[in-house]
Amino acid sequence: MRFSPSKIATITLATLLAVLIFLLPLVAASEYSFRGAGGKGHSFINYQWLVQQDGFASHLLTSLQLAVLSGLLNLILMVPTAVLLHISLKRWRPIVDFICILPLIIPVVSLAIGAQVSMPKIVQNSQYELVFFFVIIALPFTYRTLDTSLSSVDLKTLVEASRSLGAHWITTIVRVIVPSIKGGITGALFLSFALSLGEFTITSLLHWDTFPTWTVVAAQQNILGAIALSVFSFVGAVLLMIIISTLAVRKRSASISHIEEVIA
Amino acid sequence: MKNGAVANQSEGTIRRSFSISTKSSPLFPFFIFVGFFLIWPIISLIIRSFKGNENEWTFANYLPLLHGSYFHAFVVSIKLASITALIGAILGSFFVYVIVNSAGPKFTSVLDSICAVFANSGGVPLAFMFIAAFGTEGLFTKFLKSVGWDIYAGNFTLFSFTGVVLVYSFFQIPLMILVFKPALQGLRKEWSEASINLGANSITYWRHVVIPILTPSFLSAFFLLFAGGFSAYATARAMTVGTVPLVPIIIGTLVDGNVISNQTNLGDALAVGMIVVAGVAMSGYLIAQRRANRWRAA
Repeated sequence: MRFSPSKIATITLATLLAVLIFLLPLVAASEYSFRGAGGKGHSFINYQWLVQQDGFASHLLTSLQLAVLSGLLNLILMVPTAVLLHISLKRWRPIVDFICILPLIIPVVSLAIGAQVSMPKIVQNSQYELVFFFVIIALPFTYRTLDTSLSSVDLKTLVEASRSLGAHWITTIVRVIVPSIKGGITGALFLSFALSLGEFTITSLLHWDTFPTWTVVAAQQNILGAIALSVFSFVGAVLLMIIISTLAVRKRSASISHIEEVIA
Repeated sequence: MKNGAVANQSEGTIRRSFSISTKSSPLFPFFIFVGFFLIWPIISLIIRSFKGNENEWTFANYLPLLHGSYFHAFVVSIKLASITALIGAILGSFFVYVIVNSAGPKFTSVLDSICAVFANSGGVPLAFMFIAAFGTEGLFTKFLKSVGWDIYAGNFTLFSFTGVVLVYSFFQIPLMILVFKPALQGLRKEWSEASINLGANSITYWRHVVIPILTPSFLSAFFLLFAGGFSAYATARAMTVGTVPLVPIIIGTLVDGNVISNQTNLGDALAVGMIVVAGVAMSGYLIAQRRANRWRAA
């Protein structure tokens, strides 16, 4: 009843198109990644090669470390900022709104060159400088996620209730506001985590080595291994996102769908 | 009276507790961070792009951008961004239409996460996956050859302009789905009912209601896709190795040190040029966005 013949036709067409555009490269890459030695037969040797590579574990670890740090820094910086903008500093919102859209306007390549020009030596000499720029790149997404989730809570009432019960305003933020926007916070955390994990542009232009940039080097030695590496990163990312989105759906405030609102 | 007093008092406490810290001082960490890691790099970049080798002020760095190979690179980059944004926008809206009309909320949320990954996959893995599928030895290439269509018979290679267009569509379409879906979901049932009650058929409804309402959202999404495609670096870097002249790739090569000595500041000028192009696209995005929001506020 719900699906008329024309509807079934469009759904079929959409599915076919999606398979053709999105599934084919994935399937082809997966098939290649399980090829045996010299491209003959099938085996796990490409994945074995991958894990045995010198840089594999260390670069993966570097990337994870940078991603965790930038996720945390993002929260430390943006949760208080977003909360204050909603409670007491509403006048500043247009300015912060605009600043937070800037990373979408300024190409990452340009930001990277600017960073090379301007950052003091002490910052440029440590790979942890990347953390700061990962936070900047994720800013439009994390800010909008927190902002949307704060808008859906009746903050004024919560703050008044907590304050009139005698809570200090730090207690109010930590014990009342933060729990009520938990969904938004997890969303923001994972968004910046995922972005940092896959970041290539600024990392490579600032001459640092993380998992994604190491991939390019590894690819030059063994194309089948590089394909296995791609399948590994891609499938890993999809699984991570699906886990996050199911977690977020359970917590009612969706995280991934906030990306839409960033832009919408 | 008593309630009012309590309310007043509590409001007073709120104001007092936050007044110590008002006047933006709690926002200092944010402004300092963004100022140092976003605004300051960009300002330094712009300043240095106007400096010559002797640190004198000059416009000379920008002259190569106005003609010859660097100008050509901007043309190619803008062409690539427009074509892939258009493909992404058109196919993406078709998918959105199908998703909004047919998929349940659970499936939609799974699709959302998949789209989020695909939209952000504009990286190195993408390049290798396409090599596996459409490269000279690619699985799909061989399949097509076996049914009698050799895609490599003509000029096509994956490392050409057409090849890059193909690969970029892979992240432009999912981005469009993420960006455009809320607009289509925002179409109210009442509008279609109202227009049918007023005697419209579905063609008139689409022509006079749906298309005018969705056009601003569509345009803003297009501009966003354009800016993304224009700035994309990783995939092209992993794939083309200079076979397609794109501005971000040229900047990358300049940064990596293959520079003619008197052109050190050329990279800065190119980077500022990219900000200008992306800035124009994003202004289009913001203007279209403002128009689109008119319908959403109600």
